[in-house]
Amino acid sequence: MLASRVCARRFASRSFATVVETGGLKVAAIDSNQPTVSITFLAKAGPRYQPKPGVAHALKNFAYKSTEDRSALGTVRESELYGGVLSSTLSREHLALTAEFLRGDEEFFVDVLASVIASSKYTRHEFEELVLPTIESEVNALHADPATHALELAHALAFRSGLGASLFAAPHTPITAEDVAEFAKTAFSPANLAVLGTGISQSTLSSLVAAALERRTAEAVTPPTTTTSGYFGGESRLETHGTPQTIFIGFGAPGTPAPELAALAAYLDPNPAVKWSRGSSPMLQSPETSVQAVYLPYSDAALVGLLIQGPSVEGVRAASKAAVAALKGTAGVKAEELKAAVSKAKFRMASTADARAGVVEVLGSKVLSGSSETSLETSLSALDKVTASGFAKAATALVKSKSTFVALGDTQALPYADELGL
Amino acid sequence: MAGPALGISLAPFIRSSPTLSKIFTPVANWYAGGSLYRQYGLLYDDLLIEERPDVQKALSRLTPREAYDRAYRIKRASQADVLHAPLPKEQWTKPEEDVRYLLPHVLEVEKEEAERAKWDTLTVTRK
Repeated sequence: MLASRVCARRFASRSFATVVETGGLKVAAIDSNQPTVSITFLAKAGPRYQPKPGVAHALKNFAYKSTEDRSALGTVRESELYGGVLSSTLSREHLALTAEFLRGDEEFFVDVLASVIASSKYTRHEFEELVLPTIESEVNALHADPATHALELAHALAFRSGLGASLFAAPHTPITAEDVAEFAKTAFSPANLAVLGTGISQSTLSSLVAAALERRTAEAVTPPTTTTSGYFGGESRLETHGTPQTIFIGFGAPGTPAPELAALAAYLDPNPAVKWSRGSSPMLQSPETSVQAVYLPYSDAALVGLLIQGPSVEGVRAASKAAVAALKGTAGVKAEELKAAVSKAKFRMASTADARAGVVEVLGSKVLSGSSETSLETSLSALDKVTASGFAKAATALVKSKSTFVALGDTQALPYADELGL
Repeated sequence: MAGPALGISLAPFIRSSPTLSKIFTPVANWYAGGSLYRQYGLLYDDLLIEERPDVQKALSRLTPREAYDRAYRIKRASQADVLHAPLPKEQWTKPEEDVRYLLPHVLEVEKEEAERAKWDTLTVTRK
């Protein structure tokens, strides 16, 4: 009891500063006196919002190419002189352009990010010489990674359009640099942007962002739109060679993700808390088969499931049977198991928010959606309120819907959804 | 306009002075008309020496349409050369069609290479 109160107080002191509107965009910062600073420009520019398939992926790879202020090479070399790292990350809903650097170089890196946002040129030759090869290699990497590939296919089945859009462009994508420029114009409009900083004070960040964007007046354009997510489900099988046999079994829930689902995913996770030890879960009978719980919350839907991977079809089949039993049996959870699951979910959420990328993940979407509460504490206390009856209700409702089933590998031998009783 | 890929040129200097450009423009037009490449259906930028990495890179940046047209013009001119006769008059390049379609790309490539050289040889001083 005491421990949990101490915990809550510690997180309360780490909560985000209030979100401030600067020139139409939202700015939020948190300073925990770390030696490095990170600044992220977060835009609602994920594949969910893209007008054509693959444009969001192209825009992600077009970051830090030539702008009105400096060339692509200039951006890289100048950042290297400051010792900073520039990165762009794409999730289904958001595109994050992040700069990480030492304290004191804030002005330069805010200027780099602002110029990428406001004055990238999106030239045709850069698209063909620099962006397309990166897209191609990322698509190749996806095809060599059955876990990510299975989740891509699962999203397409579960949500169809919107959240179902792939994070990756097609291998020979027909999109052009003009398509990307057009999408960037709408996606990087101030109303669609949030700036998140760590290791920097709110007021400093606000004034730097305002100064950097003042010189580059962006015209107000309507941000890209999307439809509300619905959950559909289905089955997909893909023959692959040389990669582990992979099965994803999951269920989706439309609407704002309930804390019960986070607890459910933590409850389903069969992996023991101690590294290298063997779990006693029936899912982990075969020593070389791995099972991971997947919980992917979005602004208006969530996907919960189990990802099973292993070298042998038999091991994967046995683990899948146990996984289906586990998914169907969640309603009968014992009180102490639920308590453990809630603690696990809370720890995961808090430890994600501890890492830099986690700040963007956990709190960025809240800032962008205009939510006033941006502290971790509210999310954690929502998990505390999960009751056994609420959990059982959420679990029954979840498994009542049609399952999302993806099989990758030897499709002749891997089980079908109905063989597993889904 | 002067650059290593394009040779030494006085054109920017002449263009910067109104008097000089008034004197030289008719001469330049006469010279371009007299140098016969237009009678073979070529554009001036088809004559740039292309066996150089920077011009090759500029050529790779043409749109598919521009690259196709360039190849067509060069083949047509080669055939006319084999026949030892200029093209029929209606196929000659008109002066207004003689645009520098490759030059901006060559200048862009040169600028990029100069910038790379600058960053490669930069001396960093601590503030």
